Amino acid sequence: MSGVVVHLPQGCSGADGGEPYGDAVTLRLGPGEVARFGRGSATIPVELRLADVAISRLAGEIRVTDDHWQLTNHSTTHSYLVENPEGAGEYLRVPPRRVGAPVPFEFARVVLPTRSDVPVSFQVFAPDHIYLDPEAMGAPWGRLTVTAYSLDETATYFLVLVALCEPRLRDQSRVAVPTTPQIVERLQGHAACATLTARAVSSHIDYLAEEKLRIGASDPREPGKGDRRNGKREEIVGLALRFGLVREEHLTLLPPLTGAGGRERQTAR
Amino acid sequence: MTTPHALRDITERDGTDLLLPGHRVQGWMITNLIGAGGWSTVYAARPANKYPDRTGRPPAHPAAAPADVALKIMPTAGYAPRQTRRIVESARREVELGRRAGHARLIRLLDSFVLEAPDRPALDGAIVLVMERAAGSLRELLDAGVAEADRARLIAGICEGLAHLHRSGWVHADLKPENVLLDGDRSVKLSDFGLATEMTGTYGYAPPMGTLDYLPPERWRAPLGELGVKVRPSADIWALGIIIHEVFGSGASPFSGATPMARGAAVQEYGEGRAPLRMDQAVPPFWRALAADCLAPTHAARARHTAESLLARITAELEARGRGTGRLWGRARAAILTTALCGIAGTTLWSDAARANSSALDGLQGATAGTIRVFNAEKGCQERADRDPQCSLGLAIDPTRQYTADNVVPSRVWHGDVLAVDCQVPDGRAIIDEADLQSTRWFHVRLPPGSTPPTAWLPAVRTKDRPALRGCPHPATGR
Repeated sequence: MSGVVVHLPQGCSGADGGEPYGDAVTLRLGPGEVARFGRGSATIPVELRLADVAISRLAGEIRVTDDHWQLTNHSTTHSYLVENPEGAGEYLRVPPRRVGAPVPFEFARVVLPTRSDVPVSFQVFAPDHIYLDPEAMGAPWGRLTVTAYSLDETATYFLVLVALCEPRLRDQSRVAVPTTPQIVERLQGHAACATLTARAVSSHIDYLAEEKLRIGASDPREPGKGDRRNGKREEIVGLALRFGLVREEHLTLLPPLTGAGGRERQTAR
Repeated sequence: MTTPHALRDITERDGTDLLLPGHRVQGWMITNLIGAGGWSTVYAARPANKYPDRTGRPPAHPAAAPADVALKIMPTAGYAPRQTRRIVESARREVELGRRAGHARLIRLLDSFVLEAPDRPALDGAIVLVMERAAGSLRELLDAGVAEADRARLIAGICEGLAHLHRSGWVHADLKPENVLLDGDRSVKLSDFGLATEMTGTYGYAPPMGTLDYLPPERWRAPLGELGVKVRPSADIWALGIIIHEVFGSGASPFSGATPMARGAAVQEYGEGRAPLRMDQAVPPFWRALAADCLAPTHAARARHTAESLLARITAELEARGRGTGRLWGRARAAILTTALCGIAGTTLWSDAARANSSALDGLQGATAGTIRVFNAEKGCQERADRDPQCSLGLAIDPTRQYTADNVVPSRVWHGDVLAVDCQVPDGRAIIDEADLQSTRWFHVRLPPGSTPPTAWLPAVRTKDRPALRGCPHPATGR
């Protein structure tokens, strides 16, 4: 558990007099920490600057609480939407002046209305959600020994992980870990992944490595960091299998493997 | 409270896994269910016949077959091969530790075997650990209320067990009241070594598991490596600090929150220095100080408080109160005498005084006239607040003499310390720091009360502050 990550993609912070403003911003907040967002000014500092004129100087704030986060809406007129991008339209409306609305999503997109057609939005990840071990179901959990790296088995990142682990789980132990295009192809038949792009798969893999499993960071002074990066997916697969985060039973989450597809995948190497 | 819940829940979950009283497991007969965890079920049992050995022969060590035992049964059926491996791994750790590090303060492992039960597929192939039977756990005692007279003895017992484990090169890695078992006479026996890890050097690797309320701050951000997560004895010391607070503070964790997640968040806020440690004032001062040392926010700050040094302090405290003459203390005293002499208490004196001093002045922005803030040019030392000896800086006795070992006072200072300063000399020995800054200026600083000598000289390269100060009388005439 290490808090939440707020990510403002490049060029998403709104238009300031027609000029697209700002680089991508990533904030990492620990439990109890607060990040304010809005247009900001010299007297009203904000950690996350959104340049759209329709947005207040201080539009709202995010506070990390336990394993989730709360959203306070400082606007007196506008509701904010918190969408779950993986929730098939699931969203939360935070009305004006609401203080500390708890957000239950691991992935969330906060959408602020603007005068133009393009709303301003940023993402908040809460990777600390805890899931019970399947064997521990039914027992009082507070005092139990639990797996410290728990994964949401309904999330897209988990599907990506299962797809990464699939060849090894099917005992094709000598085959390499699938590449990103192979993952895209493998998950294409899945209802939730029909529009999954290679870039999204890479993001999910990064999220798994950095936020969920927190794969041991290499020494920044160590040369050959590029080589290390290439080993990331192998490392994810190794850890997920070794510590039982992905198991044979999870293969049923993947779309059925067509005979031809399977052979093709194997002979492709 | 745990046991009845566990009992009901697993009964509802899957009655077929449960063994009823009277059932025979190899040479043992189940008498009742003790409890169930995620991977295992523990039963009380006694020998089904005179010699419970499978061979029917008398056991090699008659003392190793007491009347009552606990059977820890870890089913492997119905699990995927990789999960089974995890269970086998956990059992292997217990057996290995039991074989190599037995001690009066650790639950004894009497035997282990694989159950052959073709008539009960759910149990066929289960791993069975036969262990010494305890009367109860510290959790049950905490729920019922720990008698005041028992508290110190319980903590000393846990310390003895930990001291032995750590000395033998093991880390428990899942210390909590559930795993502190108690004998009929309420003597402590540590148990559940499913995550226990043998160290290579100063650390080992444990499976990525733990109990939320007892995880040290560094574990919440610990990276997962090929071998698991890094664990060090200081993780057990943290858990001990929580237990001390629970035992002396009516069962409550020092970290507030309604759920383990909320308390985990509080642990992290404290670990990152954003919240102070707030202990129950009902905890007596000696135990509060002891728990505070166990709960030092970083591994490095905690590392100097070993189970042995803590045990030495407890023993000394109890003796000072004239209550430490029982048989327990006679034995403990002999065991810890050497460590007490290692000067652990002595070396902490100054750093504690310095900490009290600097925290009192921490509110000051920068340094006001009359104080300077110590600066360490080593980048790695600037972010650390744990007073690692490698990050300490020296002070000179005489700024005009060569700055060598015999010209350095015993007291050390660290980056960020605020020192009172009364005067300066512009023309002492030239000092060059790690960033190649050079200066001949020296500040005459006052050390915390009790330091000998009471003042010393700090080279100007060790601070960024340049307060307007009068010149000192020539130091050769000073101290």
